[in-house]
Amino acid sequence: MYSVLFFPDNVVSQVEAGSSLLKAATEAGLELKSGCGGKGSCGRCVLLIKQGRIRVEDTGNLPQLKVQEGYVLACQTFVESNLVVEVPKDSRLGEHQVLVDSKLLSETLPPRQTERELDPLCRQFYVEMQPPGLLENASDLQRLRTALGKNVGKGDLGVSLDVLRRLAETVRKGDWNVTATVADFDTQPQLVAVEPGKERQSHLGLAVDVGTTTIVVYLIDLNSGVTLDKRGTYNRQSRYGDDVITRMVYAAEEEQGLGDLYAAVLETVNELIDRLVEENGVRHEDIVQVVAAGNTTMTHLLLGLHPRYIRLEPYIPTANRFPPVRAREVGIHTNPEAWLMVLPAVSSYIGGDIIAGVIYSGMLESSEVSLLIDIGTNGEMVLGNNEWQVACSCSAGPAFEGGGIAYGMRAMRGAIERIQIDRDNYDVTLSTVKDALPIGICGSGLIDGLATLREAGIIDRAGKFHDNGANPRLRKGDNGLEFVLAWGKETECGRDIFISEDDVKNLLRAKGAVFAGIRTLLKTIDYPLEGVERIYIAGGFGNYINVDDAIRIGLLPDVDPSRYVFIGNSSVKGARMALLSRAVWQQAQDVARSLTSLELSADNTFMEEFFSGLFLPHTDLSLFPSVKD
Amino acid sequence: MAVDLIKERYTSRVGEVVLGATADEGGTRSHTITIGGDSTMPFLRFEGEVPNRPVVAMEVVDREPVEWNVALREAIGDEIKDPAAWAQKCVNEFGADLVFVRLQGADPDLGDAGPEACQATVKAVLDAVKVPLIVIGCGDDEKDNEILPAVAEAASGENLLIGTATEENYKTLTAACMVHKHCIVALSPIDINIAKQLNILINEMNLPLSRIVSDPTTGALGYGLEYSYSIIERARLGALGGDRMLAMPVMCTAGYEAWRAKEANASVDEFPDWGPVEPRAVMWEALTSTALLQAGAHLLVMRHPRAVSLVQKHIDAMMKE
Repeated sequence: MYSVLFFPDNVVSQVEAGSSLLKAATEAGLELKSGCGGKGSCGRCVLLIKQGRIRVEDTGNLPQLKVQEGYVLACQTFVESNLVVEVPKDSRLGEHQVLVDSKLLSETLPPRQTERELDPLCRQFYVEMQPPGLLENASDLQRLRTALGKNVGKGDLGVSLDVLRRLAETVRKGDWNVTATVADFDTQPQLVAVEPGKERQSHLGLAVDVGTTTIVVYLIDLNSGVTLDKRGTYNRQSRYGDDVITRMVYAAEEEQGLGDLYAAVLETVNELIDRLVEENGVRHEDIVQVVAAGNTTMTHLLLGLHPRYIRLEPYIPTANRFPPVRAREVGIHTNPEAWLMVLPAVSSYIGGDIIAGVIYSGMLESSEVSLLIDIGTNGEMVLGNNEWQVACSCSAGPAFEGGGIAYGMRAMRGAIERIQIDRDNYDVTLSTVKDALPIGICGSGLIDGLATLREAGIIDRAGKFHDNGANPRLRKGDNGLEFVLAWGKETECGRDIFISEDDVKNLLRAKGAVFAGIRTLLKTIDYPLEGVERIYIAGGFGNYINVDDAIRIGLLPDVDPSRYVFIGNSSVKGARMALLSRAVWQQAQDVARSLTSLELSADNTFMEEFFSGLFLPHTDLSLFPSVKD
Repeated sequence: MAVDLIKERYTSRVGEVVLGATADEGGTRSHTITIGGDSTMPFLRFEGEVPNRPVVAMEVVDREPVEWNVALREAIGDEIKDPAAWAQKCVNEFGADLVFVRLQGADPDLGDAGPEACQATVKAVLDAVKVPLIVIGCGDDEKDNEILPAVAEAASGENLLIGTATEENYKTLTAACMVHKHCIVALSPIDINIAKQLNILINEMNLPLSRIVSDPTTGALGYGLEYSYSIIERARLGALGGDRMLAMPVMCTAGYEAWRAKEANASVDEFPDWGPVEPRAVMWEALTSTALLQAGAHLLVMRHPRAVSLVQKHIDAMMKE
């Protein structure tokens, strides 16, 4: 065993000889960026070796100069002695701007929960039972069932052995008056807790969005429907890869892969729950119901199901509809009797998060046709109304989340969000998250940047840089031309931050895929864009999109911006609605069954649309009448 | 019983491009040639107009193309050594409507001729023939960006058709064509989107659409002709449907492609069943060309005199009232 000391954190981890530095860092509790999941290809997990002997397998895309200075890639470097290592600032996974509360953002959808009757999946009942007698000798459990009567669904009361063991004393302690907590979502009502007397018990639930990038938990009072608090953080699975594909590969190819991913997501969820519990002065055992929503892969990983076959043709998930399970079976910190319900998926690439979005958007309550778009690594979209819904999912790639972009990053502190370029002298004005020194460029900055570069004449419509010799920020880099947004002296990391021609190509592909998905959906059912009354933009990323910019680059359809509605993290909000309404839960089940999933690889339409979309804003300029040069 | 022909009606037409300039227009050509303008699919004159006959340009190279098939070189004759004389023979004897000058000698590996030499070659051909000219670079982007602007300047006013602009390299040539008033060849790699995008990019630099000719990349018979066919047909449908960015007349380098085919070069000893090489090669070029005409080509670039004569006869027959 060797010890590895990490500066400036001053933390030590003990690892076997030959372990990778990435593993050592993880064990020391350090979160390094690792977009590729430890394959040595993303070049983000950079460390500086101060002391000790290492074995370097590969230096990936690290510049030669850096290698000479002693920088290494943590995932490709192996421990051969005790080490002292420095962790550069931009190798760390910073605090992500997680969307827990979108009050500050441009969310325009009115809160809709109030319109619904509060009828949570898990309810409390105060019941007064007749004491038993020699002639009236029904069992305690039967007595309770009878007293609950028609308040709960038909059938015997389901009950765990633990609750049953305590039942006899509880009912007598309350003198045959008890408060029963019953989860009632299926044919059989389930007894979660019984407490003596009429004391109004604390009665809490959780709505959880298990996102690929971030996880958000809402703490909700089930008696009032009030959201007490919200917490979000990035998904700890990020250390095994940025996107679902990398993680599925990790799960399939690493010995403990599935276990690592399962542990990581659980750790993230529990950490959020623990913080919520502590900060709100409540108890874990008060949490009696959990509803979670996530994409199909994340749902599999949360339940510990192997996602292997989702990735391989013909892309089959283990299940699309998930049985209610005890939260403790999964390992979630709640009342041991609490049930975890997961919103159903439609297919491998249309998950419960999208069902939650459909529910939350209100699409199902109107005969007006609307379009829901969730832009992430996969762009998912649903077109429909109260009678029909069609959905598709297209792979947009991680570009908008910063993946595959030289200086791409998530929307963290120091991320460039807005870019202005002077047409005459190419002066650049940047705005960054929290006004910090720039570290990289996040999705909204990339979208803005693409539009701005085009308008300043620095790139042409095909994304090629135009070198007129008069642009001091345009230079030849390792991968073709690049435009410098910030010089080293103006940045956090001391290096120049630029957008390269490769970055522009990646962005064109990402935006081309999303727009092609939208076009294909409309084309397949032969529905005109003009007939779409509302376009809901969902997803943590979606809230940072500037609609005008997105239209200018051809990412979103060119319709009146007033038709766009931002609904923020509709996954957690849809989960919350299901938690608070049995009717909504049922609606989610129904829509997952009735929604038509369009397979884009089934014919050429998507590919044709995709290639037409690799242009700014589009090869068919007539689709973007408002975009003037 | 009379049969009613079902007729398609189209709302738009292919754009027209005028090549060459007479003395009145600032050039030295005896006449100009207009291509395009169709308001129907190829030759379907019962549905719409085909106002301009498709034309044939013959290829002339600024260096002796020693690598060409000997049958082809013999058919051209000794003039193959001198581009001006070669061009003259194409027009006077072989029935070429235009001359296509390939400045291959500028290729850094094939002589590396400089801008002045290229200017002189083009000047000599302009003096030797009075038909409109097409001038194509050597294919090396960097070199072409050096020689083509020089040629454009030297031939200012002649309204040449100059190529080739690609999505990777179009700005220098477009600028030269704008300044010196020439037309441009926009080459795309059998890709309808890139074809259109390139037209947009060139047009956005302010070269009018009426000065762009599209080369969608030609495949020879047996070597991808059907792909070219589909793209040309698709572009024509777009043009007739009102897509101005796809409405450029189409140029096809049929000779160059056909003479690369194995069937145009393999000896009779190798394939006794195939018969002698020369008539076979001539037919390969002629059939490639006529198929491309049916697809919608407006301007064919060919090599062998006999193939040219066959294709001209075919065009005459197709255009007869």
